[in-house]
Amino acid sequence: MDGYGMQNQIACIRRSLFDQGYLDEQFIQLEELQDDANPNFVQEIVTLFYTDSTRLIQNIELTLNSRPINFSKLDDYMHQFKGSSSSIGAKKVTSECAVFRQYCAAGNAEACIRNFQHIKQEHAILRKKLEFYFQMMGQAAVAQTR
Amino acid sequence: MELMKSSDNIIQDRTQQQHKQEPEMQAQEGQQEQGHHFHVLAVDDSVIDRKLLEKLLKVSSYQVTCVDSGDKALEYLGLLNNLDSDSTASSSSSSSSSSNSSSCSQSSQREGLKVNLIMTDFCMPGMSGYDLLKRLKGSSWKDVPVVVMSSENVPSRISIRCLEGGAEEFMLKPLQLSDLEKIEAYLLKSLHLSCTNIDKDDDDNNADHNSDNNNDKVVNNDSNIDKGNNSTSMNNNFSKRKALSSEDTESRRPKIKGLAVAI
Repeated sequence: MDGYGMQNQIACIRRSLFDQGYLDEQFIQLEELQDDANPNFVQEIVTLFYTDSTRLIQNIELTLNSRPINFSKLDDYMHQFKGSSSSIGAKKVTSECAVFRQYCAAGNAEACIRNFQHIKQEHAILRKKLEFYFQMMGQAAVAQTR
Repeated sequence: MELMKSSDNIIQDRTQQQHKQEPEMQAQEGQQEQGHHFHVLAVDDSVIDRKLLEKLLKVSSYQVTCVDSGDKALEYLGLLNNLDSDSTASSSSSSSSSSNSSSCSQSSQREGLKVNLIMTDFCMPGMSGYDLLKRLKGSSWKDVPVVVMSSENVPSRISIRCLEGGAEEFMLKPLQLSDLEKIEAYLLKSLHLSCTNIDKDDDDNNADHNSDNNNDKVVNNDSNIDKGNNSTSMNNNFSKRKALSSEDTESRRPKIKGLAVAI
């Protein structure tokens, strides 16, 4: 595939991430911050997010598995998680986090546990999609240098 | 929808690049006029938000120092050992070369440190952004503008509390480049009031800048409201999320400095 074809494909992938609600305008802000001095900024911050959020997920799992459930602690973790996902424009993940916090505030353990599965799913789906997206961009960059 | 347009049009990126350069150029001009770079101290416990804020500030040509807690911020500013912040003279009189009040002298380890603006997250483990704000305003760094940020819709009583506690503004995260343009106004103000080891302006400038700030706030609030309401709907992330209710606007206008108001 020539350079232009790849660019087209990448633009389509990117567009679908927004159209399908995986990303919101905050992701565009990240892209705007990327420059020649820091050409991998978006990928770096996304990678950082996944490292950080993986840790949070583990903490949340532990808290959900303990009895009695410490809802206050749960809310703290989820506040952090929601904040980070919002900062990178992870729209669906952020939405699910907001729902979780409502269940948490109501002390609804069952709903929290159920909802947390959704969060992990969305978290994983987005990761795969973004990894693919970055991979394509990497390939396009290589293609352009030929 | 804005997003559809921007994702459809790759050329849009170029326009966005140009927009990005505008605040950067303005900041550079401001800094060059004064002959130095603004230095911002950013306080946030989230590693993602620190990285984001650092990038936002650097792109806007500011010098940035990031710390992950209020304690670290106080330590950086040389305030950690001061239990009674009003009596800094006792530990630092030797470093003050000016005949001005002791309020501007620092502990000797931070001599010459210049900070033009402090941006702090509100919700942090341990010392909250509000606690940090109060400590700062009761210290030799009280004239440095402080902006408080929060990742969620806090009740207006909290944002008002911060403003009355001396914060310049309360901003919703995640921050964007357009937010930094507002911050520039506070930074320019801080140049006149910059609290270094050398000297400090008199209170007349404070009064002038207070009225300027009130005007800025009114302008900011109006434009915030124009950008769309801060909806509780989770799906509505496209609209700018900094609108305040009109009730908030009216409460924010009178800037009460140094006066604790029980809410």
